Amino acid sequence: MTAVGTALAAGQPAAGNGTRPWYAAPLALQLAAGVVLLGAWEIGVRMLAPAYVARPSRVVVVFLRVLSDAQFLAAAAATLRAVLEGLLLSIMLGTVIGLAMGRVVAVERGLRYYVNSLFATPMVAILPLMSLWFGYDGDARLATVVFAALFSVVVNTCDGARAVPNDYLEVAHSFRARGWRTLLDVVLPASLPYLLAGVRLAAGRALVAAVVAEFFVSIPGLGYYILFNSRTFKHSEAFVAVIVLVAVGVGFDALINWITRRYLPWARRGG
Amino acid sequence: MKLRHGRAEYLTIAASLALGALAWEVAGHSTSGAFWAPLSATLKNLWDITREGVLLRQCASSFQLYVSGLMLAIAVGAPLGVLLARVAWLRTALDPYIMMLYATPMVALVPFILSIMGFGFAPKVLVVFLFAVFPVIYNTVEGARSVRPELIEVAHAFRSREWQLWRDVMIPYTLPFTMTGIRQAIARGLVGMIVAEFFLSPSGLGQMIMMGSQNFDTAGMLSAILVIVVVGVGLMDLGRLLENRFAVWRGETR
Repeated sequence: MTAVGTALAAGQPAAGNGTRPWYAAPLALQLAAGVVLLGAWEIGVRMLAPAYVARPSRVVVVFLRVLSDAQFLAAAAATLRAVLEGLLLSIMLGTVIGLAMGRVVAVERGLRYYVNSLFATPMVAILPLMSLWFGYDGDARLATVVFAALFSVVVNTCDGARAVPNDYLEVAHSFRARGWRTLLDVVLPASLPYLLAGVRLAAGRALVAAVVAEFFVSIPGLGYYILFNSRTFKHSEAFVAVIVLVAVGVGFDALINWITRRYLPWARRGG
Repeated sequence: MKLRHGRAEYLTIAASLALGALAWEVAGHSTSGAFWAPLSATLKNLWDITREGVLLRQCASSFQLYVSGLMLAIAVGAPLGVLLARVAWLRTALDPYIMMLYATPMVALVPFILSIMGFGFAPKVLVVFLFAVFPVIYNTVEGARSVRPELIEVAHAFRSREWQLWRDVMIPYTLPFTMTGIRQAIARGLVGMIVAEFFLSPSGLGQMIMMGSQNFDTAGMLSAILVIVVVGVGLMDLGRLLENRFAVWRGETR
């Protein structure tokens, strides 16, 4: 009997339940879960792990100090800059290649295998090659970011350019639009939702690529900050950098979502 | 738009692959050996390491790591996801944290794992696991959101027991979404595998790349990268196959 009761409660949709007690409100539940998770982490580390291991109480103590540390800020700026530059380069290059592949059959056939296999390849694998080509400095990081991000933009833009409804193209044609006008005014806007989906995927990959490149090449950045501080057993300081990375990742996701809703309200991509 | 598989298509593709191979060969001959090796040298290296059994041994080592981490991720992620699908209040409570962990670049945790757990097999499996587990949980929970309450009500009206409800409603309904998560986990796990082999105790294909670059054996490095490209493409196809196989179960939810 109780099983049925709880099951029915579980089956209720969350919204539109006016009689719900305050402690069952989503926010209260989520805050409670956060407290439980942080508490478990704190107690687990205190009981089981060595003293240097990061735990919430220590992270809170060092948080503001690390955030106002000039060295940390420079590291964060370097990483974010590389990610943004790499993303911009990937978006520009990727849009051009993707549109060409989507609309010109010969280009698609020529590049298909290269793009698909590089899209499927974990770009971590080419890190040593990048450091050989570009030296042990920021260029290797930028190149890794571009390699990691570019192909998700290309693949998605290509899908988008191919999915443009024929009706649009026929209308453009009957209004005697030139080829490049059609491309800029019809194909590009119609592929934008796909492009944004690609950028979203690319942003995650770019962040990973930048961090890994910093591990490997040892250049100042959030990844190197984490590596250096965890080696010297300052795990709580290093963890602040992880928090910043998560915030950037989540923030970028939210930004893309917002852009899609605000500027492309007609785009509802299925699947 | 349906792609036609005509003769012209195969010709263009063959020409582009031949051109790529030629460019690879020429680039290898016209630059310093430290930067790039010709395709012929790379293939010769690949043949040598295959014959000596090095490739098979290293692949087996990578495979063991990859499969352990991935299976662990699926074994933990899928049941947890379905549990969250069934228990709505727990799902609501954990939702933001799962999303956050899904978006976390797990690679940032590798130095902590190295420093706490040191070298060995277990920390490497943990890395692959962390890379792979959150896509599985996240997508399963995403699927859970789409289980219609009516289905559960109908099941109860027919006096379904709890385990019948799981077997007939919860699992079939969330499985296609779990498969999407597994597809993502297959790709992310491969990244995790190479990261683990690079930055924790060196082994497998990652070690082959690393050794090639340290000894300026560019052909050796390129042949290992080539193997990873082929494995990556194969795994991506496998993931798509799995996802499409179960996609028909999704039905119309939109």
